[in-house]
Amino acid sequence: MRVREVEESALDWVWTHRDRFALGDDALAADGQVNRTWKPLGELTQVCASVSRCTPPGDPLHTRVSELLDFAWQQTHRGELFPLMQSLEPFATYPLEVYAAFASAGLRHPGYEASAAVLTRTRGWRLTEQYPTRRLGVLEAERRSGIDPHGDVPQALGRTWLGGLPEPWTFERAAGYALTHVVFHLTDWGRTPRGVPEDLADYLLHWLPPWLDTCLDARMWDLSCELLAVAASLPRPPEPAVLEDAWQRVAAARAGSGAIPEEGAAQDAAGADPGPDPYDFADCYHSTLMAAFAAALATAAAARPPDVRQAARPAGQGAPG
Amino acid sequence: MEQSSTSALLQGTVLDLASDVVSALRSGDHARAGSTLTAGGAAEGVARAAVRVLGADTLLPSVLLRVTPDPAQLAVFKEAVAAHPPRHDAAPTVMWSHWAMTRALRRAEHPLTGPPRDEPDAEPDARWLDDAGWQFLTHQLAVLAPLALPGEECAVTRVARGRPVDVARGFVRAVRRRDWQQAAGAGRWLTLLDGVPDTLGLEAGLDFVRLMGGSDPRVALQLEAARLMPAGVLL
Repeated sequence: MRVREVEESALDWVWTHRDRFALGDDALAADGQVNRTWKPLGELTQVCASVSRCTPPGDPLHTRVSELLDFAWQQTHRGELFPLMQSLEPFATYPLEVYAAFASAGLRHPGYEASAAVLTRTRGWRLTEQYPTRRLGVLEAERRSGIDPHGDVPQALGRTWLGGLPEPWTFERAAGYALTHVVFHLTDWGRTPRGVPEDLADYLLHWLPPWLDTCLDARMWDLSCELLAVAASLPRPPEPAVLEDAWQRVAAARAGSGAIPEEGAAQDAAGADPGPDPYDFADCYHSTLMAAFAAALATAAAARPPDVRQAARPAGQGAPG
Repeated sequence: MEQSSTSALLQGTVLDLASDVVSALRSGDHARAGSTLTAGGAAEGVARAAVRVLGADTLLPSVLLRVTPDPAQLAVFKEAVAAHPPRHDAAPTVMWSHWAMTRALRRAEHPLTGPPRDEPDAEPDARWLDDAGWQFLTHQLAVLAPLALPGEECAVTRVARGRPVDVARGFVRAVRRRDWQQAAGAGRWLTLLDGVPDTLGLEAGLDFVRLMGGSDPRVALQLEAARLMPAGVLL
């Protein structure tokens, strides 16, 4: 099994279903459902930005994600909708968080950035109450959007679950999603593995294997793919056997269309003879995007020069390494 | 029907026996332990089978606390060792469990001098662990938790000492899977190993296993062993 095949088939599914990411009339409605409109579009954009960076210009996958980025940017009317969205709810952070994904792909709207900078200078913005992981994400969104971050990254990191180096056996679903996003924010979605402090990298190399194994056993495909993306975002890779096993299991979870369900429950609902494209968009779009994202990062990490790719524990277990 | 009731009887006897060991470890005195083996608490055949299941840990109080085993209990243990030698094609864990029982018996019979030096214990093969993944390794070590003793020296303990991170990963996996017996067995091994990452939080982890699974005497037995291990006298 090649990791690249998972990336290709996942992006096939995304391409075929791209219209489902389109913004509808409710995108700017006062009672709009952000999680069903802007969030999937922002996630599509972020993944395509990362895949684009991980693949050379002549690669067919690079072409495909470039076209998807054009599609997504058109949905925002080339950024014109961001100031409108912000005007509906000026001190909400999600417009900037979604915009940051576009900005990281080089798709920018200077007028929106200027208006967002006015808001982020307020004490009210700095004091927004939110989870520590989300706080870190907003800081990164500011940086990526050309705005001075309103706070300090190490301080924000220290208040997250991962930043406190918790006992690894306390890992549960919510902690898992928090920690993957901390790594995504610290590394600019896999772009800068050195953004992970050394103690966090050691911690993750120790404990990713049992987290991955148990999430895969529980058929938590979405979180498993996020953990695989984390594994590919570290300064040093985990042991090859851990990754090979995990990718085999993710590959086996694919539907014929390339879609990967978020959880095993969707597979159970699809029955024994599910057909090539058995899942509702909401039950598989995120996990399929995360599979493409993780696979792109893993493929790029494997191609890094050897001096960057040291073994996880060159001196062996228990020995000073 | 008859088979399942026999199996239920055996399982109950194993739990009773494990409770006896836990009581002895907690009180520091085998005399205050229960008497599953010695007061007609179980039929002979079932008692011997239960001893085989619990293995060398049946005599753990005498090993860890340096108290002389109860003679009647020791007699049942000896019968259990003699009555069921493993077949030559038995699984490695069965071979090693038998080896551990034989060793425990010899130590119990020679508490002051240790086993006679002219009778070296022939160790079973440990090559089945050579390429074991961390999940399988931890499972096998948990099954062979009676070998996790201070100062124990054999091929299995050498494998465990070489892979502290993998056993720690196995502990995390077992807790996540709510497999308290495996978690407790792995935790007992970890108390003996150098190189376990500090971030594991083993002490709190063992407390958590006790909180969640400690009502099972087989789990409690491993946790008591782990508790006594750091202070244990070297064999």
